[in-house]
Amino acid sequence: MTALSLLLVPLGAAGVLVLLRGKPSALGPVGVAALLATLALGAWAAVSEPTLGWDWSPAIHTGLAVEGFSRVMVVLVPAIAAPIFVYAAATEEEGRLRLLALMLVFTGAMLLLVTAADFLMLLIAWELVGAISWALIGHGWRDTENARSAAQAFVTTRVGDLGLYIAAGALFAATGSFSLAAVGGAGGWEVDVIAGGVLLAAAAKSAQVPFSPWLFAAMAGPTPVSALLHSATLVAAGAYLLIRIAPDLDAAGWFLPAVAATGLVTALAGGIVASVQQHAKRALAGSTSAQYGLMFVAVGASSTAAAGGQLVTHAAFKSLLFLGAGVYIHASGSPTLGGAPLGRALPRIAAFSAVGVLALAAVPPLGGAWTKEEIVAAAVDESAWLGAGLFAAGFLTALYASRYQVLTFFGPGGPRHAAELRHRPGTFEIGSIAALAAFTLALSLLWVPGAATVVEDATGGHLAPSAWWEPVASIASIALGFGLVWAIWRRGALTTLGLPVRLREAAGDWLGLPTATRLFVVAPVMVLSRLLARLDDRVVDAGVRGVGWLAAAISRLFSLRVEWSIDGLVRGAAAGTWRAAVGSRLADEVGVDGAVEGAARSVGFGGEQSRRLQTGLAHHYYVIAAVGLAATVGALAAFGLAKGS
Amino acid sequence: MLTAAIFFPILAAIVFALVPRPKLASVASDAPETPAASSDDSAGAVGNAPDPAYRKYERRMQLAATAVAAVPLLLMVVAWLRFDSTGGFEQVESVSWIPTLGIGYRVGLDGLSLSLAAMTALIFVVAIAYPVDLRGRAAPYFSLMLFLMGVSLGLFLALDLFLFFVFWDVSLVGMYFLIGAWGHGDAQRSALKFFVYTFSGSLALLLAILGIYLATDPRTFDMAEIIRQQPLPATGLYATLVFLGFFIGFAVKTPIVPFHTWLPPAHVDAPGPASAILAGVLLKMGTYGFVRILMSMMPETFERFALPLGILAVISILYGSLVALAQSNVKRLIAYTSVNHMGYVILGLAVAGAAAAGKADSQAIALTGATVEMVAHGLITGALFLIAGSLLARTHTYEMDEYGGLAGRARALTGLTVIAAFASLGLPALAGFVAEFQIFAGALAIYPWLAVIGLVGIVITAALMLRMLQKLLLGPLPVRWMSFPDLGRAEIAALAALAAFVVIIGVVPAWLLNVIDSFAGPLVGRG
Repeated sequence: MTALSLLLVPLGAAGVLVLLRGKPSALGPVGVAALLATLALGAWAAVSEPTLGWDWSPAIHTGLAVEGFSRVMVVLVPAIAAPIFVYAAATEEEGRLRLLALMLVFTGAMLLLVTAADFLMLLIAWELVGAISWALIGHGWRDTENARSAAQAFVTTRVGDLGLYIAAGALFAATGSFSLAAVGGAGGWEVDVIAGGVLLAAAAKSAQVPFSPWLFAAMAGPTPVSALLHSATLVAAGAYLLIRIAPDLDAAGWFLPAVAATGLVTALAGGIVASVQQHAKRALAGSTSAQYGLMFVAVGASSTAAAGGQLVTHAAFKSLLFLGAGVYIHASGSPTLGGAPLGRALPRIAAFSAVGVLALAAVPPLGGAWTKEEIVAAAVDESAWLGAGLFAAGFLTALYASRYQVLTFFGPGGPRHAAELRHRPGTFEIGSIAALAAFTLALSLLWVPGAATVVEDATGGHLAPSAWWEPVASIASIALGFGLVWAIWRRGALTTLGLPVRLREAAGDWLGLPTATRLFVVAPVMVLSRLLARLDDRVVDAGVRGVGWLAAAISRLFSLRVEWSIDGLVRGAAAGTWRAAVGSRLADEVGVDGAVEGAARSVGFGGEQSRRLQTGLAHHYYVIAAVGLAATVGALAAFGLAKGS
Repeated sequence: MLTAAIFFPILAAIVFALVPRPKLASVASDAPETPAASSDDSAGAVGNAPDPAYRKYERRMQLAATAVAAVPLLLMVVAWLRFDSTGGFEQVESVSWIPTLGIGYRVGLDGLSLSLAAMTALIFVVAIAYPVDLRGRAAPYFSLMLFLMGVSLGLFLALDLFLFFVFWDVSLVGMYFLIGAWGHGDAQRSALKFFVYTFSGSLALLLAILGIYLATDPRTFDMAEIIRQQPLPATGLYATLVFLGFFIGFAVKTPIVPFHTWLPPAHVDAPGPASAILAGVLLKMGTYGFVRILMSMMPETFERFALPLGILAVISILYGSLVALAQSNVKRLIAYTSVNHMGYVILGLAVAGAAAAGKADSQAIALTGATVEMVAHGLITGALFLIAGSLLARTHTYEMDEYGGLAGRARALTGLTVIAAFASLGLPALAGFVAEFQIFAGALAIYPWLAVIGLVGIVITAALMLRMLQKLLLGPLPVRWMSFPDLGRAEIAALAALAAFVVIIGVVPAWLLNVIDSFAGPLVGRG
């Protein structure tokens, strides 16, 4: 029941919020209380490892279980969601009730995702999380552009959902079960299909190449929504799934290398995209893809433990950074980077943001540096190329992280006092950011000896041994990134990086990936769709119309010979029946022929009758239908008599 | 009891047909403020200036018809409670009719019949209760609706092929008049096209029924007996022809691409409740026939055609969703998603009926999924068509580009439309997912490639449904809809009833899946 209550507490709280709509001041406290209760339940669940199973149908058993890495997630999700919720309750005005209630439902759905014990529950949660994010991203629905972005995000991630459908079906075909625990038991072609499906699903959800651009579209949502989606929920789902089951899919030999390659490509591309960004939230969004890329690399290098650690540290510093970006955007009135830095007016926010940036750039002794080192160790252990790629990614991370911090908070100039700002952050905003900064700092404990065992135990994976030169090389690459930003900043070119506008824009827009998607996927589908619609109207239906015309023509021919009247119809039907009867007396087969003939005749009637109907003589149909029925009964009677005699 | 469920609405339909049109002179004397202009035919047809006394008469008729329709629904609930799900037909009622021909009046049910008949009863109650422009002809409208209700229930409950065919054919007549007389736009032409097209399909069906009848020994139309006899061999010209006859009959009704072109005009020009019934109930007659007749009476022949049928299904899925994506008319869009959803059903059936030894578990969930899809599509698309009807009543247009921003004006409409649209795109925790998940999970074991290609359909459906929501509800509100009225109480109640079942089936499907599994498991030979 603990497992179920994890979901029901936030869902119930969302319901309570709706009931409390008359008291806006109560919404925040109730929601936070619910999330803290969920956090306590999550901590209890992480220790007690509850399971719950029930029959979804007579053929399908399903259930929830807190086991393996989900023990970490049930704590992490409410721990991150709570401060973000405080921030949202304090800052969001338009549609506040809807936003807060949806955030609670969303948290509940994410908890369902991480407690799902089988592919059925996983897929249910997976798609629910996607659908609720549609509502969250499209929160400002009066702007058509937001609605469109929400749809783009949902449809893109749904492409990934197909992967889970495929994996679930293949797993059931192989083992007769949907259970995550059964994955290791699958063999044959099914393993490859499951692995392919899982990779597709995880890559789409975690915004890996080529799906990354949906994360930019998701920026249409309010800042707290971005903070929630990017840290411990939605985007985290892909990496979570891999951490849970990737080791069981090793039987598909191509799987882990493909995961690592996807991750590395995304880490590098995301680094470039984030580096050239002119928009505060987009810079962080590019970084999100890149950071999840690192987790993919870790999984691909057989270190789910390092990936799990990175997921936790990233959740802490990325939610921190997003809320800081929210304050920056509110205070300066624009999301554009390169305006006046706000460090002097907002020293505390600037300091908290710096904590997040240092963790992102993997500077020791922050926790982000420790997990990053473990990923490097695993990658180097796996292949030199992978290791080299990671050093490049580390350099890019240091570059975009420090550039972001300098442009938002640290540069000279800018207002000196908070009073000069368009918006001054209140106690709750500062408090929630401070809580996340404290969490980020606390993760430095990962450097304490013995932490490695805890991480391995919590994730169920292994960490790779680290060579002495790896931290040195890492720090060198970070220093190089910082140094470069310093040098460019001295020249005053940090906003543009000295790059031509067109190049910057092309690189910043996911290296042209959205354009390519529009050109090669969306546009062809739309063209095909319109083409088929036209084809449907003109050609397929034309065949039908042609037949109708033919029937009418034939019946006109008939009507030249026969004087049509109701009597004539009856006589015709009787004749047909008679002939059928005679035929069936000879043999059954011939009887069928007779029936065919009779039917041919009825078609003739039908044609004529259609013409009459078209002229508005609808009441004739009553008679015709009665005659048709009589003819049918007559024909059957004839068959029966034939049989009897 | 089942007989009562079938004939009570039919008898009531006759009573309704005999109700005389109210004499407006006397009505006017009851309500003196009524302007004298309300002459005979214009009474209900003039939507914006209804005669209050006449409106009262219409409401009374609607209430009476709804009460009548509630009786079969109640009887179906009782039947559900009495259902013991041990397999085979139960609650059978039979009377000898034309014994020399082996024709009997036989009704009864199994898990398939029960779930479809219960869904049918629910949709009819909702459709009859739904406000609609009656064009001053209230009595005939409700008479036809109740008649169609009895006939539809009869079709799903009939255990005799002859009876089945009678109900099949008569249902066309009822729908023909509903579209022709209460439709809009080019209603006459659409109704005629619907009628002629599906009627020619039913001729093929008649031939096939005769064909299978002639092969029985002793000759009988008793479905249970024919299923026991399995009268036709797996191969041979005769069996193939009979199969094709049934196939054409059912494929037109379902419809499967390329037999679908009667569907969009019929839906677009039909009044909302008639569309809901056409999509929710009448289309299911085709898919029901696939299971009840083709898969049960000639399973070996079905095996031979399972793969081509699966391919046709996937074509329907993709074609239906792609064509729907290009529509600008909201009702045409919904109509084409029906083609897409029926494709899912047929895919599930093809998988369940394929020759695949040792994969009965997967086949059973595919068949269960296909059956849930029949029920779910009835509820969901029924709701969508009713919503489209409400939109038309308020704005007189189906063109999505004319709309926008209604979320700010009409909260009930927005909430219910969002639920229906997400259910239609197969969102989990709503009924469509329960169906589609099982269909595809089953299909991956039998026809993996078809399943993977077919899955693309659910992405396109997502895109087109979100596009519909966006165009209708989101964005800025056009000035002329500033006073757009939200759904009325009757509309909300009717749609909420459908939405409630969509959610219940989505969240706790076991009560429905147990009933369905009781026939699906044995049919695919699961141990």
